[in-house]
Amino acid sequence: MDIADFATQTLNGLQYAMLLFLLAVGLSVVFGLMNFVNLAHGTLYMVGAFVGFSVATRTGSYWAALAAGPLAAALLGAAFYFLLLKRMQAAGPMKQVLVTFGLIFVGIDAVRWIWGEDSQSILAPSALGESVSFLGLVYPAYRLFIIALGLAVALLLHLGLERTRLGAVVRAGVDDPVTAASLGINVDLAFFAVFCLGCALAGLGGVVAAPVLQVYPGMDVAILIPTLIVVVVGGPGRLSGAFWGALLIGMADTFGKVMIPDFSGFMIYAVMALVLLLRPSGLLAARHGS
Amino acid sequence: MTGGEDFRRHCVAAVLLAAALMGLALLGYSGRDRLAEIAILVIFAMSLDLLVGFTGLVSLGHALFFGLGAYALAGLTTMAKIPPSLAMPLAILAAAIAAFLVGILAIRVRGVFFIMITLAFGQMGWAYFQRSRTFGGIGGISGVGQPDLGAIGLSLANPADMALIAIIAAALVYLGMARVTASPFGRMLVAVHQNESRARALGLPVQRYKLAAFTLAGAIAGLAGVLAAERTNFVSPDLLVWTVSGEVLIMVIVGGLGTIVGPALGAAVWVLLRDYLSAVTPYWMLAMGLFFVAVVLFADEGLYGLAARISRRSTRDA
Amino acid sequence: MLEARGLRKSFAALEVTRGVSLALPEGARHAVVGPNGSGKTTLFNLLTGELRPDEGRVLLDGRDVTALPPDARARAGLTRSFQKNNLFMGLTVRENLALALAIGERAGTVFWRRFERMPGLLARAEALGERVRLHEVLDFPVRSLPYGTQRQLEVGLALAIEPKVLLLDEPTAGMSAEETQAMTALIAGLPREIAVLVIEHDMEVVFEIAERVTVLDYGSILAEGTPQEVRATDAVRRRYLGERAG
Repeated sequence: MDIADFATQTLNGLQYAMLLFLLAVGLSVVFGLMNFVNLAHGTLYMVGAFVGFSVATRTGSYWAALAAGPLAAALLGAAFYFLLLKRMQAAGPMKQVLVTFGLIFVGIDAVRWIWGEDSQSILAPSALGESVSFLGLVYPAYRLFIIALGLAVALLLHLGLERTRLGAVVRAGVDDPVTAASLGINVDLAFFAVFCLGCALAGLGGVVAAPVLQVYPGMDVAILIPTLIVVVVGGPGRLSGAFWGALLIGMADTFGKVMIPDFSGFMIYAVMALVLLLRPSGLLAARHGS
Repeated sequence: MTGGEDFRRHCVAAVLLAAALMGLALLGYSGRDRLAEIAILVIFAMSLDLLVGFTGLVSLGHALFFGLGAYALAGLTTMAKIPPSLAMPLAILAAAIAAFLVGILAIRVRGVFFIMITLAFGQMGWAYFQRSRTFGGIGGISGVGQPDLGAIGLSLANPADMALIAIIAAALVYLGMARVTASPFGRMLVAVHQNESRARALGLPVQRYKLAAFTLAGAIAGLAGVLAAERTNFVSPDLLVWTVSGEVLIMVIVGGLGTIVGPALGAAVWVLLRDYLSAVTPYWMLAMGLFFVAVVLFADEGLYGLAARISRRSTRDA
Repeated sequence: MLEARGLRKSFAALEVTRGVSLALPEGARHAVVGPNGSGKTTLFNLLTGELRPDEGRVLLDGRDVTALPPDARARAGLTRSFQKNNLFMGLTVRENLALALAIGERAGTVFWRRFERMPGLLARAEALGERVRLHEVLDFPVRSLPYGTQRQLEVGLALAIEPKVLLLDEPTAGMSAEETQAMTALIAGLPREIAVLVIEHDMEVVFEIAERVTVLDYGSILAEGTPQEVRATDAVRRRYLGERAG
């Protein structure tokens, strides 16, 4: 592998990492706040992609799709929250996880029903359709856009977490729900907002991924497993955990495929097992608590 | 657990067994093959109940040991040319050893994390067999060796005989598990499930018991995998993909956690319902998913628990 | 029987236990008192093995158990009751006691005989139930019992493994006056071979059952002695007894 290859693979890894980050961050923060994992998170990603596909087909505009996908995912997430999750709070996290597991099956078939079996795609916007050359590399502009978008979202979330009231509630809520309640904001409402934001980001991920990966029923499960691994590796409840976890897994997967093709797809599981062996509560998990 | 509850479970198990034997007598070629498949899944589901229902370890990667049992048998008989009658116990042993090793890592974490780490280990196995040239990659291995049962007048190539062997195996596993879970060892698993920190404070080496349960469940899943490989004569990565783990977990929950006979019932109901629905509509997964969600929401004691509750109420009213 | 030497424990920058030493001879009746946040529960967790000390050692029967986890310490003869009821909630009282007895007898290696048919197990559970005054509710699900009765079972479970050292974490917390009296009598009547260490807020209970008292304050020992000596110590009166009375 020469330096140009290495740089290209690094960018590929970075692009995949940013996609994983968009999915993992919602899952991780919700896990930190409510102690449950939404296994149907991938479904929202898939729905975002398909809604984006429909909108892009009708309007011919990628940017309209980029707005519609997250909106649809957030609305679906909100409905899901009120119809199921909220009513199940007393039942505990395990039952919530199982219900979301059942919804994966529902989601795949509902999408097949509405959009059919075929693989679809969304065209990248014409402004980003070309490849750009820099530092002696030629690299697709759209992939650079994904990296930039991921970094921008990470930065915005970081600022939001540090600078806003909602952010303060979330930070306190992950550490200690009792303190969060005493901050004087409606904690339930704040959690709901965070949940919807996480869903919207999953939908955003779906649209963003569409021009690169394909849009098909089952894409939800394909992304769910690496996303869960990012959450586990990063340690739940931390924005930084989701970010660095996504980076680690994105790079491990990309370089794993290039360097040891026989074990590609194996690499990320090995990384996760190793992290859990060394630090059972995740790479960047809070040190306190049980 | 009371004697009356035990009696009720054995009754349900006896009814299931009678239904299976009746099916064996009455059904045709494909019906008998389906019966064998159900009996194998019954074994697989009961093994997971030991983890989920008794020990409280919710695993979403149990298909790993099912698949490993199947692959070990295939590998041993086709590549190492070991006689099938010897390869079968060796394959179960291989699944048990794998479960022991995976268990050492997995039991370090709890709750939702345990779900995720078992899911990841399961997918790791799946990813390995998909790529492995030794084990045939996506195409898998066909021509799994079958033991010669001519001495007792049976042949596993015949679906009726295969179904009979699988049903007998399921009945034996049921009896063995009923016995083991009613023993002090089984009660220790319940103690871990009910209150891990208290069990530990009383001196129970909790991790050792979790590992024992994980290994035993893996071995029984391995047995189910061995039978599955004998039934189809073929193994592929599809045996251990995560939806297999997911479906067997659904069977256990739909049937009724911690009752052994419940998951057996759940496996039968799930396969029959799936067959029926997939014949009626291409969107059967949607219906199955909603059915599962409804069970979790409204009948979390599962079908067996629901039936037991109704029967208790009606005997009280009478 | 149980000895702690110079235990220290910090969480982040906060030192919660600052060089605490304790010695419980066989049959001791020892109480640890102190205001909230004085480090009583952390001390308990260090003694039972739920936490590892940063410094210092724990000896049980002369043997260094500092590195042992809670279950190994329990097998060596040290167990505890919990401040918040920590029971096998889904089972009956009889099943709880039988389970605890079976754990104490290391019966879990038996996997072919029925649990109920273990020789004498149910009879012993019944006898233990009588000892902790639960004989009338043996077949009730624990979940259905009133709080005070659950507290009694909390002590019953700990007694089941025949410990040499028994640590009781606020055994009368949340109890009515009547229940407190019953619990005090139960503790006072424990067999003399058991060394008992109790964390307790209710000073009347402390003076009734303890023969030695350690007063903790900000993680270190403020005073130690007989109840009379401790009561007479100026610092204690100011810091603790006075605080509660006023």
